[in-house]
Amino acid sequence: MELVVALGLIVFKVALLIAILLLLPLPLTWLERKIAGHIQQRMGPMRVGWHGLLQPVADGVKLLTKEDHIPAEADRFLFKLAPILALAPPFVVFVAIPFGESVSVLGTKITLYVSNLNVALLFVFAVIGIEVYGVIFGGWAANSKYAVLGSLRTCAQMISYEIPMGFAVIGVVMLAQSMSLLDIVRAQANVWNIVYQPVGFFVFFVAGLAEAQRIPFDLAEAEGDLGAGFHTEYSGIRFAFFMVSEYAIMLLTSVLAVILFFGGWNGVLVPLPPLLWFVLKVAFFVYVFIWFRFTFPRYRYDQLMAIGWKVLLPLSMANIIITGVAFL
Amino acid sequence: MSRALDRTGIWIGWAFFADLTNALALTFGYMFSRPVTMQYPDKEKWLPYSRYRGHHFLKRDDEGEIKCVACELCARICPCDCIEVIPYEDEKGNRHPAKFEIDMARCLFCGLCEDACPADAIALGQQYEFSSFSSADLVIGRDDLLGKPGKATTGGGVVAARLNTEQDVLVETSEPQGYNWWRNIRRT
Repeated sequence: MELVVALGLIVFKVALLIAILLLLPLPLTWLERKIAGHIQQRMGPMRVGWHGLLQPVADGVKLLTKEDHIPAEADRFLFKLAPILALAPPFVVFVAIPFGESVSVLGTKITLYVSNLNVALLFVFAVIGIEVYGVIFGGWAANSKYAVLGSLRTCAQMISYEIPMGFAVIGVVMLAQSMSLLDIVRAQANVWNIVYQPVGFFVFFVAGLAEAQRIPFDLAEAEGDLGAGFHTEYSGIRFAFFMVSEYAIMLLTSVLAVILFFGGWNGVLVPLPPLLWFVLKVAFFVYVFIWFRFTFPRYRYDQLMAIGWKVLLPLSMANIIITGVAFL
Repeated sequence: MSRALDRTGIWIGWAFFADLTNALALTFGYMFSRPVTMQYPDKEKWLPYSRYRGHHFLKRDDEGEIKCVACELCARICPCDCIEVIPYEDEKGNRHPAKFEIDMARCLFCGLCEDACPADAIALGQQYEFSSFSSADLVIGRDDLLGKPGKATTGGGVVAARLNTEQDVLVETSEPQGYNWWRNIRRT
């Protein structure tokens, strides 16, 4: 009986997580277009619903009813596989992400995470690496020069940011003496990691921008020079898959930044519910992502390589060494 | 000394991304500035200035007779040859146009007809919403031209309006002058 309840709870949590992640891109696209509009002294969507609130729904209906076009020369299997490969990993990763300690509903304690992996951080980085294959396959399978260029850039970009990103979080792991995200947040109950690890956070955040493929590092889909990059040939629901995956990764990077460096659900000064604190912090980072997108131009991709290898990597190494020395 | 200090200041700023921070502050400021969008046609509409050159109109004199004397100077000066005038003589011996047609599809709104007219009979008014599905509809005759709105007396600015699919965009405000659209443009 207890096993059934436990299993049911896990299934319920996963279903809830999937529903939230699938629906969250709707308000996020609206928010992104609104913020973009106001930064450029426009209004953004205004016509559909109150201040364009129903615009994402209209866009969704449009995407779902569009022709699902596959180019004649495309590798059909890879072309169909790529959007799924891009969409699934961000969803899988959220299984290992804790959103809070636990709440008690009807007398039973319900933890606000699906599982507490003791190597959660490793799991997150391992799984999120798979997402890049979706982008690479998608660009390759479309058999179009823009798409191939987009995926080539992704290949080069991925290596140069994943390594500094991995090194950047080692400082956090050293401080918490654990790779479990839950323990990392618990270790920040008094002082957030950003105080001890500003350099680590900087490297993580810059690499995270590249990971989420947002401006200034959105080389894979660079609208200006590559049409739409790796998803040039995608339309309809498959394109929507890529978009949802992009927003899920943006969200994931924000969540990771909050958990690793900004104390997770630990609040300061104002006593708010921990979950609310968590959501507020994540919302702030999502805003920062959007804000960056409409402030900075895109880096050339040799510049990204230079930043990745010549700045971020030495910085993250130095960060590890200094943290280690301070630890001793 | 001061130059050296400036140099170090610049380098310190560079190390802490002062330029990127400035950019972020600028866009953040813009986010809370007023948008410059004019929500035409379903919420707002631009009232033209009195000097605006829109759709032509023909004037009447005090007796209600058409002012045009059918001298055809406007047809002559028109650079795109879009005015066609056929005169007639009424019972009092005055010349008037029997036919006065302007092909709005060809007109370039230069206003030369207005300048050339010796009788002050034709002018370019304030109407600017006369798009059409057929270019034949854009050939406007004498009687239609007499009914077109004249020059704006006030104007210049944005007022509340509503889209009416039967007619044009309806102005929905009693104010003769709208808000100055240019006030929203940020100049730094």
